[in-house]
Amino acid sequence: MSDVVLSDAERDALISMVVRGMARGEASTEQQSLAEASLILVKGPMMMPLPAGTTLVGDILRLAPDAPERERIMSTFHRFLPINRQLRDLCTAWQCRPDGSVNDHSDIGYDAQIRDRLDDIDDSVAPLLKRFTEDLPRLAPYRERLTVALTNLDEGDNAWFASPLIDSYHTVWMHVHQELLLTIGMSRADDEALEEQLVSGSHG
Amino acid sequence: MSVRPIDDVGLVPFGLGFERGLDTRSLCTRGVQMETLAGLGLPVAIGLTVPVPNVPGMVTVDRAAAAINLLETISGRAVGSTTPEGGIVLLRLSASAPVAAVGLPPDLVAIGVAGARIPTGLPPKMLADLSAAWWKTASFIAEYSLGVPAEDIASLGLDHDDPADRIEPLLALCEATGITPFPVDLSGQLAAGAAAMLARWNSPRAARARRTQQLPVDLPLALHIETVTVTDHHEAGHGHAVSRDLKSGLFAPNGAFRHGVRSTGERQMLGHPLSSLPGGVAMLTGVLAELEGRLGSVALVDFEFGPEGLVLVGLEEYRRTSARTATSLAVDLATRGITDERTAVRAIRPHHVLELLHPQPRLTGQEVLLVTGLAASPGAAVGRIVLTSEAAVEVAETGESVILVAAETSPGDLPGMMASAGILTVTGGSASHAAVVARGMGLPAICGASGLRIDRAAGTITCGEHVLPAGSIISIDGDTGSVYIGAVAIVRPEPSASLATVLSWGDDARRLGVRANADTGVDAALAMDNGAEGIGLCRTEHMFLGERLPLIRRVILSHNPESEEAALAALALAQREDFRELLLAVGNRPVTIRLLDAPMHEFLPATPQEAEDEDQARMVEHLHEENPMMGVRGVRLALLHEGLYPAQVEGLFNAWIDVSTQHGISPELEVMVPLVSIPEELLMMVRLMRRVNQEVASRTGIVVKFKIGTMVETPRAALMADQLAQWAEFLSFGTNDLTQLTYGFSRDDVERRMLGTYLEKGLLTVSPFSELDDPGVAALMRIAVDKARSVKPDIKLGICGEHGGDPVSIALCEDLGLDYVSCSPSRVPIARLAAAHAVLDRDPS
Repeated sequence: MSDVVLSDAERDALISMVVRGMARGEASTEQQSLAEASLILVKGPMMMPLPAGTTLVGDILRLAPDAPERERIMSTFHRFLPINRQLRDLCTAWQCRPDGSVNDHSDIGYDAQIRDRLDDIDDSVAPLLKRFTEDLPRLAPYRERLTVALTNLDEGDNAWFASPLIDSYHTVWMHVHQELLLTIGMSRADDEALEEQLVSGSHG
Repeated sequence: MSVRPIDDVGLVPFGLGFERGLDTRSLCTRGVQMETLAGLGLPVAIGLTVPVPNVPGMVTVDRAAAAINLLETISGRAVGSTTPEGGIVLLRLSASAPVAAVGLPPDLVAIGVAGARIPTGLPPKMLADLSAAWWKTASFIAEYSLGVPAEDIASLGLDHDDPADRIEPLLALCEATGITPFPVDLSGQLAAGAAAMLARWNSPRAARARRTQQLPVDLPLALHIETVTVTDHHEAGHGHAVSRDLKSGLFAPNGAFRHGVRSTGERQMLGHPLSSLPGGVAMLTGVLAELEGRLGSVALVDFEFGPEGLVLVGLEEYRRTSARTATSLAVDLATRGITDERTAVRAIRPHHVLELLHPQPRLTGQEVLLVTGLAASPGAAVGRIVLTSEAAVEVAETGESVILVAAETSPGDLPGMMASAGILTVTGGSASHAAVVARGMGLPAICGASGLRIDRAAGTITCGEHVLPAGSIISIDGDTGSVYIGAVAIVRPEPSASLATVLSWGDDARRLGVRANADTGVDAALAMDNGAEGIGLCRTEHMFLGERLPLIRRVILSHNPESEEAALAALALAQREDFRELLLAVGNRPVTIRLLDAPMHEFLPATPQEAEDEDQARMVEHLHEENPMMGVRGVRLALLHEGLYPAQVEGLFNAWIDVSTQHGISPELEVMVPLVSIPEELLMMVRLMRRVNQEVASRTGIVVKFKIGTMVETPRAALMADQLAQWAEFLSFGTNDLTQLTYGFSRDDVERRMLGTYLEKGLLTVSPFSELDDPGVAALMRIAVDKARSVKPDIKLGICGEHGGDPVSIALCEDLGLDYVSCSPSRVPIARLAAAHAVLDRDPS
């Protein structure tokens, strides 16, 4: 464990920064403190976590190996990964048509089909988020953030599907995923291997 | 829907709908697909359609029983019975609407499981298939027909991994919380399935889907019921086949299949390749060729196969395909005689040409390929290797283009990705974080370049023998997945064979000539390669930028006749070289040389301090203009410096003699005087040029043929085109200036400051500099065309502004009766096609 002492607000700001990967805008008081502690880097209007900050958040969020909720969380996480794959495939379909050309969103039938499949994914992930939240209450706001992205998408702004620059459905999903990985202490590489194993195992 | 059932239509077996006079309004899309397939004599699934008016009745057990009876009669098999091969005969229920619609209820694939419980003693794979299918069917009926809360059903899914284990708890849940217990008999299950589908179609989710597709809120449904046999894995399966390779566009049936029951109405894209289909693909190949001809589109069929052979269960027309596929299909259909060449030309639109000719790396064969990966996000980029997000941000800040190379990316890499021109990752596929984010940002990306090793500590990337330190330049091609060492030139590709064919067919159809604007031999050669019929505008002022600037500067700033004469002699010599190169590329085609036309300040030192001497400095101050664009430009400069245009045409005539005598080619010279607003300005220039022509003839003994014409770029010139036509053999509309002067717009200022406001307030719908203004600018052109032809009916009329490459403006030029358009060399293919459309789109035959 690091010996850095953070206030609750600073800790939350650091977790948010590591989960999101970056922040933009004017640095808040907490973010300024984090920068002074060399946990994040402020570069003009952009802020990003430094390795020490990422390590610290890993230490803060990681469940103890013998935590009683670990098994339940892992079991639900195993259900999450195949849906995670489906979402990424769906984002690909949203961005690229089957022939590889860029989806210019001029075909409302095509887009509607992708949007409808997003409902299937949202229906599938809803009970998982509920189960995660029973053990990890801090994940509760993600449900609302996903719903906000869907609402904005349905109001006609396509960016809310997968734009990395706003809290689109894909962005929020990535944040959930990142926070889960930090919680269970799994690397991206292990996560990808596990996902592949779970997905290929389910092929008939 | 309050539609009365049509009893005499009743239930319609696949293949009998058209002969009963039914169409898509009652059979809906899937019913029509099955009619189409059956009508071609192709083997289709055994099934029937419940037409739109009869659908509400299907929620009753009696009507459901009638449908089952009919189906059992047609198939000769009882639902629920076991086939000789050990399969179980069940029902698939699906729905479709009168138009293609998203948000339809999912297929219910396994109606008819006796007692609603999976039989015991099934082989393991068959058990797994049937359990999964029945769970989907039964849970859907429970939620939408019996009103069991979705959350409770989802919990069963989480608590029991194996679908087979969820069935008993589901039945208990229905018993406890459902409107009625789960139906255990066949008719009851079919009726409940129909009711569930209608309930889903009326749900907020489906309503939203209809809204986003701008479909009627009360769009009706037809239901389709087919027999389906759930059997052991390796005896049966399902798949899809599409007629063309969607990347290359060529006819090459491909697709995928899986073993087992088709457990969802959605097409499964993954599976075994079609080429290994049991029984081969000969039949499917024939089916797809036939369907392409019938449908005039790329065709896709869904099929099922089993011990009794292969049947078609679905059909889709791919109307929207890539440009490559669209051109290939259009050419194939015309070549097969199914359509004709004009239809093929009509089918290809300017956006297809743009897509096919979008810039790509120009490979010379000398490139060193570093590694290949998955083409994850289209486009190409050249940049320096950076290995961390932080480095990407830092190097990009210096103005360098960077390519982020990483094992994989995570949200922490977002700042670096934003700073990069392209992304290259070692792991991950086309749906990886890096790919999704790169496409979201419009960045080219290659993922899964597994041959690459990154050593962050050493700051290198390695692939085989190649070790590149961070900072080295690489080029990535997100369309092919190739990574090259060093910088590869990014250029527009040559037209594909199919596109070249369509363009040549278009050439046969069009009336308008297509020329190009080109100032150098290189540009002219590119234009000719792209099919230009000549040069419509050579801007000679472009020959005097850079090293040549002092030549023209000395002419303008000369302070005595001797120095002006010396400067003009040097200018004529330089022009001779420039024109020789251009004329060689043009060959025997027409070439329009526009004499010097640039605002004078572009040739002068920006300040008196930059002048060569004090005399020049004084002249610079003296020549200062308040509004250079409307000051001493074009012919006006030639009036002040009477030796200027003669020197230019002397250079031109000498160059023509050079290429004619040395290379045996005779370009058709057209000399164009710019910015005329007083017809006598043109007359004076005509006299000057004829004099020079005679002088060259007496000196060389060769008479150089040439035509003289003028730009029409001021409203006054347009209004006096009849007078201009007395002396001009051609007129060319300079629509950039004509638009500026008609609106009173200074282009740069208005596009920067006003255009957004004009568009936002709806005062303009498009920039008049991109699309020719029909009611205003084109009205002036109409007047000019009429007046010019009233004096000289065969006068040649063209356009050389940027509008010459815009399809909408080209159609307008066709209306105006111009003879040719001239555009940038890269737009020539688009202009050729647009000129053909301008004729064909008006002629329905």
